[in-house]
Amino acid sequence: MRLKTLREGEAVLFTLPALVPLLIFWLGPLGYIVYLSFTEWDFMSPEKLFVGLDNYTYLLTHADFYQALKVTLTFGLGTVVPIIVGGLALALLMNSKLRSTGLFRAMMFSPWVTPTVAVSIAWSWIFEPDVGLANLALGWLGLSPVGWLQDPNWALAAVMIVTIWKSIGWSMVFYLVALRNLPADLLEAASIDGAGGWDKFRGITLPLISPTTLFLSIILTIQSLQAYDQINVMTQGGPAGSTRTLLYMYYQSAFETFNVGEASAIAVIIILICVLLSGLSFLLSRRLVHYS
Amino acid sequence: MNITEARKMERERELQRKGSRERSRKSVPAGEQIGRIVRYALLALISLAMAFPFYWMVTSGLKTNDEIWRFPPTFWPESVNWSNYADAWNSAPFARYMFNSIFVAVSICALQVINASMMAYALTHMKFRLKGAFTAIILIGYMIPSTAVYLPSYMILNELHLLDTYAGLILSNCVSVFSIFLLRQAFLQVSHELVEAGQLDGASHFRILWTIMAPLIRSSFAVMILITFIDQYNNYFWPMLITKDPDLRLVSAGLRSFFVEGGAYGLAWPQIMAASAFTIAPLLILFAFAQKTIMQSVNMSAGVNKS
Repeated sequence: MRLKTLREGEAVLFTLPALVPLLIFWLGPLGYIVYLSFTEWDFMSPEKLFVGLDNYTYLLTHADFYQALKVTLTFGLGTVVPIIVGGLALALLMNSKLRSTGLFRAMMFSPWVTPTVAVSIAWSWIFEPDVGLANLALGWLGLSPVGWLQDPNWALAAVMIVTIWKSIGWSMVFYLVALRNLPADLLEAASIDGAGGWDKFRGITLPLISPTTLFLSIILTIQSLQAYDQINVMTQGGPAGSTRTLLYMYYQSAFETFNVGEASAIAVIIILICVLLSGLSFLLSRRLVHYS
Repeated sequence: MNITEARKMERERELQRKGSRERSRKSVPAGEQIGRIVRYALLALISLAMAFPFYWMVTSGLKTNDEIWRFPPTFWPESVNWSNYADAWNSAPFARYMFNSIFVAVSICALQVINASMMAYALTHMKFRLKGAFTAIILIGYMIPSTAVYLPSYMILNELHLLDTYAGLILSNCVSVFSIFLLRQAFLQVSHELVEAGQLDGASHFRILWTIMAPLIRSSFAVMILITFIDQYNNYFWPMLITKDPDLRLVSAGLRSFFVEGGAYGLAWPQIMAASAFTIAPLLILFAFAQKTIMQSVNMSAGVNKS
């Protein structure tokens, strides 16, 4: 009995170097923020005032919150879908019996490695309204120039373009791995049975790579909820709140207007969205996804 | 069927496969040939477009302020002004920023190698009652966006008097759920018999972990270290929140403040582009050398999800 406890003690000792920081900087804060969301505090006053659900009712009755929610959803859908579809398209293009595509692969993947702040600065210059490349390109297509980062109708699109550019090569590599693992004999058998390219894609490829698609959707959605760097560098939530996501609103109310309670309530809502989405994708994976 | 027969069949199948591959190489119909060229061209075009922002960054950094504001823009600088790079490098303490980033990232990598492998080893090759609960804790950590808890983490760091210190920058990032998962996945592939054999020889778990197990999962360590290094070098939001002292700025925060404060906002674009270029350079060089390992991370993180 004593020996067993001793052994257990050793195992727990092994987990401590990771568990202690995890508790201090991760799980502790998680519980703390739920508590903070029921209080009112400004970093200065000695006491935190307990206000119950006030922060939530305040948020849910104000247009700012819904605006941020809308921006978050637009940004999420507008980046996750193109990154997944585009990544798959690039992988299909690259996968089909082409040799020496290593350099292409590296070039497409490289944006993922680079710091978001630095590339966002470079993109701000590309989106410069008067002399930027983006408007030059629009001109080539016969379109009139737009204000990009200074125009509330276009700023979010610009931030989305940078986000997509940064991750599309990354998602492509995921799909390259998935496509390489497809059973060749199955695809061959389908061709012998007279299935065309599109039939094979819909009937075999798409279902077999669905675990990758599901994984990417979860990871990319969580990433899109956390997007901060590119927004901070390119637009700081503006103009007119057109790029203020929930996370950006959380940051602003916490560290710019020092409204700790409200900020915490927004954070709790972001966390709930994540938990909800993860649960949903878990259910989806049981029903739709084909794990071989 | 006995083993030799199975091997023979395997070899025959292999030969057949080779044969069909060679056949397909010899007799490529003209249509397919054209299709291949079109695909190559398309891929080349897309790759160039993807890499173009980097090219634009470097060459814009070489232009004079006069030239950079010209429209339509010149695609190659009329005169090559490397002095912009020197100007940018000298007008803010970029050497310091870069040292900070590299120092903090390397320290975090070292700590994560230790704590992630110990945690992963305990979860896979040791027995204890709370194992299930611990695994659940880590799973939860994987689902919840860390940015959402920055506010309370900041307050805790303040209580611990770790704001504005290297220790704060390093310790607050010293655990990664991703790293633990990655190593857990690797340890699951290693037979438990090795651990038992080690124990019979009287080795402690600590010794077994570092002398027997760790060398076996070298490639996972390589991926973990590279990904952690890249993440931490690029880290901006959290380090910026917890440091006010300019001497402690990481390179992204330093670059951003150069962009905003240095009188630069829209005025000294060639210098700004030059600074962005040399901030990115170490990572692109690292990527050029460790491409394969970095892209392998994709294989492994896809495995993380299946557990």
